[in-house]
Amino acid sequence: MQHGIFLFSRRKALITTLLGGAWLCAGFASASQELRVLTHSSFGVPKPLLAQFEKEAGVKLRISKAGDAGEMLNKLILTRKAPIADVVYGIDNTLAAKAIAADVLDAYSGPASQRAAAQALPAPLVPVDYGYVTINYDVQWFAKRNLALPSSLDDLAQPTMARLLVVQNPATSSTGYAFLLATIGAMGEEKAFDWWARMRKGGVKVAKGWSEAYYTDFSRAEGGTRPLVISYATSPAAELFYSKEKLTQPPTGSLSLPGAVFKQVEGVALVKGGQARPAAEKFIEFMRSAEVQKQMQTEMWMYPVEPGVARADVMKFAPEPAKADTPSDKDIADKGATWVARWTQVVLK
Amino acid sequence: MAKSRFGFPPRAGDWALACLPLVFLLAALIAPALRLLAEAADVGSSDAAWLAPLQDPYLRWRLLWSGLQAGITCGLVLLLGLPMAWVLARLEFAGRSGLLRALMLPFVVPTLVAAMGVLALAGPQGLWQRWGGASWQGTPYLLLYGNVFFNLCVLVRAATEALEQVSASRVAAARTLGATPWRAFWRIEWPAIAPWLMSALCLVFLYCFAGFGLALVLGGPGYATVEVEIYTLVAYELQINQAGVLAVWTLCLTAPCALAYAILERRLATPLRADRIARHKPQSTGQWLAVCLTVLMLGLVCAAPVLAIVARAVGAGAAAWAVLLEPDTLHALWNTLRFSASALVLATVLGVCHAMAAQRWALLRAIAFLPFVVSPVLVAFGLLLLYPAWAASAPLLVAAYALLAYPFIAKSLASALDGMPAHYMHAAASLGASPWRAFWRVRWPLLQPALRRGMAFAAATAVGEFAVTLFLSRPEWATLTTLIYEHLGRPGQTHYASALVLSCALMALAFGAFMLMEWPARDDPLNPSPHA
Repeated sequence: MQHGIFLFSRRKALITTLLGGAWLCAGFASASQELRVLTHSSFGVPKPLLAQFEKEAGVKLRISKAGDAGEMLNKLILTRKAPIADVVYGIDNTLAAKAIAADVLDAYSGPASQRAAAQALPAPLVPVDYGYVTINYDVQWFAKRNLALPSSLDDLAQPTMARLLVVQNPATSSTGYAFLLATIGAMGEEKAFDWWARMRKGGVKVAKGWSEAYYTDFSRAEGGTRPLVISYATSPAAELFYSKEKLTQPPTGSLSLPGAVFKQVEGVALVKGGQARPAAEKFIEFMRSAEVQKQMQTEMWMYPVEPGVARADVMKFAPEPAKADTPSDKDIADKGATWVARWTQVVLK
Repeated sequence: MAKSRFGFPPRAGDWALACLPLVFLLAALIAPALRLLAEAADVGSSDAAWLAPLQDPYLRWRLLWSGLQAGITCGLVLLLGLPMAWVLARLEFAGRSGLLRALMLPFVVPTLVAAMGVLALAGPQGLWQRWGGASWQGTPYLLLYGNVFFNLCVLVRAATEALEQVSASRVAAARTLGATPWRAFWRIEWPAIAPWLMSALCLVFLYCFAGFGLALVLGGPGYATVEVEIYTLVAYELQINQAGVLAVWTLCLTAPCALAYAILERRLATPLRADRIARHKPQSTGQWLAVCLTVLMLGLVCAAPVLAIVARAVGAGAAAWAVLLEPDTLHALWNTLRFSASALVLATVLGVCHAMAAQRWALLRAIAFLPFVVSPVLVAFGLLLLYPAWAASAPLLVAAYALLAYPFIAKSLASALDGMPAHYMHAAASLGASPWRAFWRVRWPLLQPALRRGMAFAAATAVGEFAVTLFLSRPEWATLTTLIYEHLGRPGQTHYASALVLSCALMALAFGAFMLMEWPARDDPLNPSPHA
């Protein structure tokens, strides 16, 4: 009978659905002994290294990416009474003072925290890597028009130059925030905001985040018109490394204008109230181990802080800027939010 | 089926059915948001300034612009979508059903990728400018175009389905009595489809008002919406009090809209007719012209950005396409499938319960909009606070996906239930069927098209991007969307090419899923197509 078949097939469909659902959920079951690692979304350590760590430390890694570093720290601060992680990687010098004031980190005194490092972070953060936020330019664009690159921040504020630059909104982007801090570090608050007012008048463009600026506004992107963008000093090396036609020279360059370079140091730390303490400590040592320090260079495009570790070959296209203008950690912690609010007032409202 | 305008009081059975969705909303939406607001004082958030959105010109403009752009988008999609829907519902031409399904694709395209497509067309140095138009960069048009691109399908699909339910004999009678086609449309068809259109427009309004991914990218700082402001306040500044104030203001502005819609929909509901108007081949030049215009408009509004993405991915060369076979991609594909499937199962259960319970209960209908109106960033942070042990756990992630997906199913089913003639159930009962049997054998099959439509939207939401940036994501759970964003977060041409290729794969997957979901509609025994 047709109706019978109809009913049967429906019931069968229902059972199939339920069984299928159970099977799908089964895949989500997690292991018992876990180390919960909280990171920002740019975390990149090769899988084989992570697997090796799991084997040696006898734990299962549970890595959670919590958005960009600022968003990640805020999640950590909000959940401090019942922490969502045991160890956190990615808090940098712009956020260190805030993290320490919020009392979400625990002290660590193992070898990695005692060893000499190329860059320092306030304890209890253990430095892992560092990099520079700076202006990048499109080599071809300037060559084609036979235009000179800006030579100073004042030069950049000329209307003909300002409209060539796209920056990220410091309220929603860590690169944008870093660049704002550099200008304040170099010129002082009052002069810096005068400069920003001139940039606004000159037609500087503001994008939401790094990806938007780099992949839609930068002249290297299809449809993009701005040959100057805020990015990292290592981005030209990455462009070369990931170029399609295997270039020999990077298609972009980093422009280390005085007053426009921010040094960013990223670190790892124990989370207060976290569990699996021995494994968490091992993870801190792991992040400073020679292998990770070597391999993360071309994953995260940062320089290693471990002095003995060799630079990746391609990093010769990413020379370190001679000078960086970084306000003190304390100033950043005390005034950072006010500066962003003032920036919004000056540049956007 | 007794109708009460305001839906009070609900029956005991309604309460029982409503239990599941209400408990879910309470646990996954309301409690987390309140929990976050309760934490405000503890993290040194400044005091709430309740009138700030009125006093501060910046915030006032944010609120005003949010409403304005949503309203304008509603007008645009109605104007563009209704004629298209008429053509799709009344005329039969090759590729019609494919077109209807392809309409859903914008829904799954990650915002940033869609923005790239839109910019390639209407941005600086885009096609539009090359053809002599002005760049839309820095104007509100870019955001409006993006809004229409994402939302046109909501209206066209609702209107098409509504037009298919219009009684053929009534239209025929009107025509016999001398009504012009226009008058027949205005007096017979329009009243029948109005509630469906209202439902769709309401969804579009709330989606644009509360949507924030698109506004962040295309709006630019000048034309960002209030939701962007809330996101910034919570995620970057921990000014939870101020965010809470804005969220309450948003709720105050959108809640009346949702409630008015719910009441209106009940009032406008007309039972559906079994005698549908059959589609016919275009007979006159005018009708052929209408078909061509529809295809052209759809091409311009919806397909162009998608095609721009595909064209670029193809242009990236064979080497870039190799990314499809990488283990990471295959794993992400599997994750996309299992997360979406789990979320869809949960969303369907919730949606069916909600819609069944809300038949006589306007307030409950309005509540189905909550997941759209309450800022997702409040929910995402609140969930972490409320369930720390479940942070970055699969059930929480699936629940979050389902939370944003299920209102689509609830809305779609609620409209279909309104249109259900009461005498079908009476007939079944008088023939001795138990209420459960009558439901299972009569109503349920009749609800299938609406259920499938809702599920298609829900699935699109689930494979799409929303949770990607807000919720904790674990690398081993990376979905295709997460992977696309990871590539776009790093410099280098190969990353860019991979992102484009993966976007194409995501669209192909979604298109396949919609095909599969709606396939059985063709041989539904109770809803024979005119050609069966």
